[in-house]
Amino acid sequence: MVGQPGHAPGPRSPAIRRLRRLAADAGFGLAVLALVSPAVLVFLWMLSLSLKNELDNTAWPPVFLPDPPTLDNYREVFARNDFLLFAWNSVVVSFSATGLALLVGVPAGYGIAKMRAIRAAALILIARITPGLSYLIPLFLLFQWLELTGTLLPIVISHLVITVPIVVWVMISFFEGLPGELEEAALVDGATIWQAFRHVALPLARPGITVATILAFIFSWNNFVFAMVLAGRETRTLPVAVNNMLTFEQISWGPLSAAALLVTLPVLLLTLVAQKQIVAGLTAGGVKGA
Amino acid sequence: MPRDIAILDGPAEAALPRGRRNYARRYAWFVVPAAVVVVAVILFPWLFTLYVSAFDWHLGSERRWVGLENYVRLFTDARFGWAVLRTLLYTVLAVVAPMVLGLAAALCFHRRFPLRGLARTVFILPMMATPVAVALVWTMMFHPQLGVLNWLLTQVGLPPSMWVYSAETVIPTLVMVEVWHWTPLVMLLILGGLASLPTDPYEAAKIDGASPWQAFRHITLPLLAPFIVVALIIRTIDALKAFDTIYVITQGGPGQASETINIFLYLQAFAFYNVGYASAVVVVFFAIIMVLAALLLWTRQRVKVT
Amino acid sequence: MNGITRREALRAGAAALAAPALVERANAQSAFDWRRFRGERIEVTVQLSPRGQFLQQNNKEFEDLTGIRVGLEVVPEQQHRQKIIVEYASGRPSFDVTEISLHVNKRQVGKARWNTDIKALLDDPALTAPDFDFADYGEGMVTYATQADGRLDSCPAGADYFILYYNKELFAAKNVEVPKTWDEMYEAAKRLADPSKQVYGHVGRGLKNANVVLWSSYLLGTSQRDMIDANRQLITDTPDAVWAGETYKKFLRDVSPPGSIGFNWNECQTTFMQGRAAMWVDGIGFAAPLEDARRSRVAGKVGYAVVPRGPGSHHCALFGAGYAIPEASRRKGPAWFYIQWALGKANQLKWLTSGAGVPARSSPFRNEEAIGQSHFPRDFFQTLEASARIARAGLPEIVPVTQFRDVIGTALTNTISGADVAAELKRATAEFRPILEQSERET
Repeated sequence: MVGQPGHAPGPRSPAIRRLRRLAADAGFGLAVLALVSPAVLVFLWMLSLSLKNELDNTAWPPVFLPDPPTLDNYREVFARNDFLLFAWNSVVVSFSATGLALLVGVPAGYGIAKMRAIRAAALILIARITPGLSYLIPLFLLFQWLELTGTLLPIVISHLVITVPIVVWVMISFFEGLPGELEEAALVDGATIWQAFRHVALPLARPGITVATILAFIFSWNNFVFAMVLAGRETRTLPVAVNNMLTFEQISWGPLSAAALLVTLPVLLLTLVAQKQIVAGLTAGGVKGA
Repeated sequence: MPRDIAILDGPAEAALPRGRRNYARRYAWFVVPAAVVVVAVILFPWLFTLYVSAFDWHLGSERRWVGLENYVRLFTDARFGWAVLRTLLYTVLAVVAPMVLGLAAALCFHRRFPLRGLARTVFILPMMATPVAVALVWTMMFHPQLGVLNWLLTQVGLPPSMWVYSAETVIPTLVMVEVWHWTPLVMLLILGGLASLPTDPYEAAKIDGASPWQAFRHITLPLLAPFIVVALIIRTIDALKAFDTIYVITQGGPGQASETINIFLYLQAFAFYNVGYASAVVVVFFAIIMVLAALLLWTRQRVKVT
Repeated sequence: MNGITRREALRAGAAALAAPALVERANAQSAFDWRRFRGERIEVTVQLSPRGQFLQQNNKEFEDLTGIRVGLEVVPEQQHRQKIIVEYASGRPSFDVTEISLHVNKRQVGKARWNTDIKALLDDPALTAPDFDFADYGEGMVTYATQADGRLDSCPAGADYFILYYNKELFAAKNVEVPKTWDEMYEAAKRLADPSKQVYGHVGRGLKNANVVLWSSYLLGTSQRDMIDANRQLITDTPDAVWAGETYKKFLRDVSPPGSIGFNWNECQTTFMQGRAAMWVDGIGFAAPLEDARRSRVAGKVGYAVVPRGPGSHHCALFGAGYAIPEASRRKGPAWFYIQWALGKANQLKWLTSGAGVPARSSPFRNEEAIGQSHFPRDFFQTLEASARIARAGLPEIVPVTQFRDVIGTALTNTISGADVAAELKRATAEFRPILEQSERET
């Protein structure tokens, strides 16, 4: 396989060539299959675990097809946990952290792109490099001191560590890719730089904002470590809640898998729907949460 | 070129004409809100950590100023030393494997074939999946007697593996989970590179009668080099920082066989409550990451020159 | 000490808060007024366990009884311990009642005086219901919960003993007797193994930290028994400690499933539930899931016995929990009401009969009628009773328990992979000694 389509033609008979081509295609098909199957199999196994009763889940040899499938595990998830509350927390945290990040990050991306301010950008890059855990001791003590623990605010604020760099990065590359002529024309016409940004650059950057929103949302949604330390009874987010399902004294593979699937389903669906934007955003720079 | 790394390349600032620089300053206001946030949630923790690292402080006891003692202790702490080595081993494996696989996958997905869009989407699903949720499912699959993975191994005639239940296999197994999660990111970064490649060299190679392998080796690979290095840098940083999966699956075990710096840090801070010592770990950990990142950036400069 | 002033302060505060209820109380002078704190709101945090889930399910009962609203948080034990310590240390814990793992956190919370002494509350007839009957608590549990300085800073809630679970079916098939000594148990495990069916003679905790309590179960059978001596010096590399280590190594290495090195209670439980291991020594709380036919293949086939005796003595490891009220809480009255309800006679009896845990009170054990109706077999209750008589603390009473379990646990885990027991324990003891010394100095 090469990076470029097309093969060098060889001096062979058409039949052999066709055969070789067929073999090459089959091999290629198998390679693609091998690439996607780990992803598919893990999710399918998750689904299978979540639809079986506990005896089948720990059976040997393993039971693959739920027979009969049961929704009991899902019922238990909703009955035993404040699952809906945690889901709501996750929604609030991820949306707020993403929204705030857009509010400060989009103008910052624009400013940095215009100024070509390398140092400012590098500072934000440090956030990308720092392990998430290392923010936690000071932030925790700070929020304790401010008496903010027990609310969602500390979690939203800590998630800014993830979302702001993502938004800024994506927006820098988008604004740099935009032709500057239109804004310059607006400036010549007497617009302020804020107006040029607001009415000229911003509408043009809308695809970039979409990408930034999706990525910031997903990585905020998936984050575990901040909420693990900062969240209290009513402020847990879903990843923490699902990890907490690992009960002492009782194993429950079924409900655990059901919960795991429910947690990750929203982002998987979002990925399926918005895969084009995600691919565009990620190829433009390796953004990922802290 | 991916923006976040290009930014570190050097003084593009100087490239602006002097008149434009004053003009550019007016854009500083756009950056102020973000700067405030960054200072508050990123810089403040940093300074605080640096300060606390000079104390002997167990939560619940009095703080005691000890200067650099925590650092001295850290450098003589064999357990920390092993954690560093383990982190490096984990990083090497968790960088090389996704790089190789990601490159292969990018080459596959660069070709046109039926259902390519769907296959690519499915392929990137793991990197979007919630790591904690998936890690819990992996844990069940790794059970040495009842896990589905060992059943699959025995079905194809292989001996069962101990996965995360043995000191010898725990790191490769955790790397496997990491590969599952993050190969798609490498693939996407390199795919972006492939899309930007010029077509002319290939035309020329075709005329010269080069084989596909030769074309790959002498045209594709060199042209892709900057993208590969970017992926390498990102992967290295992420592998060094790996936490969620290890914490959920092994918590650093068996014994200390998968105790990386991050897990060591977590234990010191949130299980043993040695806040001062843990802060010193944060500082040293960050230094390690910076050194490695700088090393890779330097490599990148060399790649660009050649 | 300052018990009286605190009590007075409490009374004054409580009276001010309860003013609107005065009329109601006047009408019911004789009866205890459960509703004097109605309208208040408290935060309670307990560990995730059958007990925690029991409280969760019955929360409304308390709210209806007292009119106090309860925010109940249930957190997995490890995170729970970390969480409460961090919050205590901040000076502003968010909870008014918390569960304390006595075997892990007793000394730490005691030394820091984070919790209020409940003796003052117990002595106050306005705050303590007459039928609470503190004398009902077993002396052992009260001693276990009492701090070295004599303060009772948590109300004993429950005990956990290590017992021997065995698979009656496998025992019958091989005609094996229930072992009485650790050596007999090892021989039995060898006979019970059936490699062709992937059945193992024994399963037990191998995971670092979690495994220390299994090792201490063996150590409790020696004449040394403890992990620190009377001068609070570490004695974890003595000949007795090494014997316990050798026993641990041979059980985990020779007669347990491969991969035991990473087994915590949940892997052990899964293996035992599937009928893949004949014997398992662990906490008594696992009886409930093992007898649950919806998830266990061995329900109804589980045998219960006290842990075997060692060469020097016969003890089973004891762990326990108490419920405490932080000194910093501003709602100590309602919090104490909650504890009285949660650990009252009725609820403690339900814990016992549903297999949710071992109550700290002694009255449930005497309730023959309720026990007779329980779906747990007789030998379960007999084992409980017998274990209570030989129970002894399964972990040393020191502040850095977690670190102790981490360091010693690592050494034990290493022995499963073949490392020399004496050398490992020596190294671990040397590693932990300065940590203990420092923590003792910090008083």
